[in-house]
Amino acid sequence: MAERRLQRAAAVLLAGAFALPLAAIVVRAFADAWRAPAIVPQQLGLRGIREALSGATLEALTNSLVVAGVVTAIALVIGWPAARVLGERRLRRPAPVFLLLALPLLVPSYATGEGLTEWFLRIGLIDSLPGLVLAHLVLVLPYVILVLIAAFGPPLTALEEMGRSQGLGTLSRFRLVTMPAVRPTLAAAAFLGFLVSWSEYGSSLAVGGGRPMLPVVLLPFVRSDPQVASAISLLFLAPAIGALLIASRASRSPL
Amino acid sequence: MPALAVIVVLFGGALAGAAKTSLVPLTNSGLGHPTLATWRALVHDPALWEAVRFSVRIAVLATALSAVVALTLALVLRRRGTTLRTLVALPVPVPHLLVAVVAVLWLAPGGLADRIFGALPFDLVRDRAGVGIVLVYVYKEAPFLVLLLLAAMGRGLADREEATAVLGASPWQRVRWVIWPAVRGPLVVGSIVVAAFAMGAFDVPLAVGPNSPLTVAEYAQQATANDVLAGEGLQAAALLVTAGVSMLLAMIAVRFAKDVQGG
Repeated sequence: MAERRLQRAAAVLLAGAFALPLAAIVVRAFADAWRAPAIVPQQLGLRGIREALSGATLEALTNSLVVAGVVTAIALVIGWPAARVLGERRLRRPAPVFLLLALPLLVPSYATGEGLTEWFLRIGLIDSLPGLVLAHLVLVLPYVILVLIAAFGPPLTALEEMGRSQGLGTLSRFRLVTMPAVRPTLAAAAFLGFLVSWSEYGSSLAVGGGRPMLPVVLLPFVRSDPQVASAISLLFLAPAIGALLIASRASRSPL
Repeated sequence: MPALAVIVVLFGGALAGAAKTSLVPLTNSGLGHPTLATWRALVHDPALWEAVRFSVRIAVLATALSAVVALTLALVLRRRGTTLRTLVALPVPVPHLLVAVVAVLWLAPGGLADRIFGALPFDLVRDRAGVGIVLVYVYKEAPFLVLLLLAAMGRGLADREEATAVLGASPWQRVRWVIWPAVRGPLVVGSIVVAAFAMGAFDVPLAVGPNSPLTVAEYAQQATANDVLAGEGLQAAALLVTAGVSMLLAMIAVRFAKDVQGG
């Protein structure tokens, strides 16, 4: 009984530690006037929301969504074979490959972005969506592969072998055996990939200074105008929560 | 593997590009001859070394605190239900910059914490010690590490623990000889990723960090603001320094993990 009460208290505490700080963002976004030392705002209003929905921010929101979506899709497609080979331990010496794939995680994204700028300037990719996609891909791909590796291994190979012996063709084996088994991990990898691209600041600034992404637009307001910063933060949070919901739905294993 | 090709071309290209920018100066008439002048100027700038010290301190502090908090939470949570686990994982999808906004709203001078508890006796946001930056990273990264740790503390671990308990091992011995070997790998890998991120990211320091000292990434960004032509090279060189320091930290972490394993 005491144990259960303790658990409930812990749950409330954790939920509070997450929700309370974020609640301040919601209130701040709708507070036209909230001067110290008042604990509740003096005047509510939509100035922040209006500002957040104005041209530049909306454009940045679209850019960020497009880039994050496209990058995640590409990373899943080209990360799959790599994760499969590594997960099934088909390489004699996996360590160097593994290290090389993980290396971009060790280098600041701003450095990667600035380095790419040197070449992108020449081939006209600077300030373009394809340029941003390529720059983000360097950072998203390692995360996606590292997560996806967990999906592959002897259990899956055995299942596929069973499918083959039952006369399933390549396509139906993929659809009926591989995909359902891999789906939860695939969802987790997609979710993480989307988030990495969505929150990426350094390389977005370096490669796409002239094509604003949401974090780049948000940052200056954090110091200058907390109300607008909070309103943009709400836009910033919504797709992240959406991605979480989609990923957790997709991750329910049918097996 | 197409993935390998992508990483080699894009990432290798990026490093080569940064190295080239740092070696070949831009002049008003175009590209100059390759020279080490930029690097010489960089290593003789005391501001750079101050930035390196500040960045390393933030990265190490944030990572160590996150790891300790995560390990404690994971040990407590591994026998609990999914509700608590889900609640702990909630900050994972929240972007860093958003946590920084929250920190500013609550902890900045005149922020909500000041208003509720009266004036706080210390600064947490834009303080010279960078406490605000560390707090933002811990809030964000500890749950990420908890997820990694809980994944490593799977079903098999409970069985092994039970077996050692039957053999008469004390709780501390069980942690030391059963749990720690199982979680050490994921913890070290996760910590390396966290440290490298804290070392190189500069959106959080820009939002909640002090105007001085700067982190290396901020230093690099300011270089171009001061002098557009010479700044490009200085920026690239400073960023390569950051990359080098991150890899050095990673190597130390791996080394440390091996020592622990041997001990």
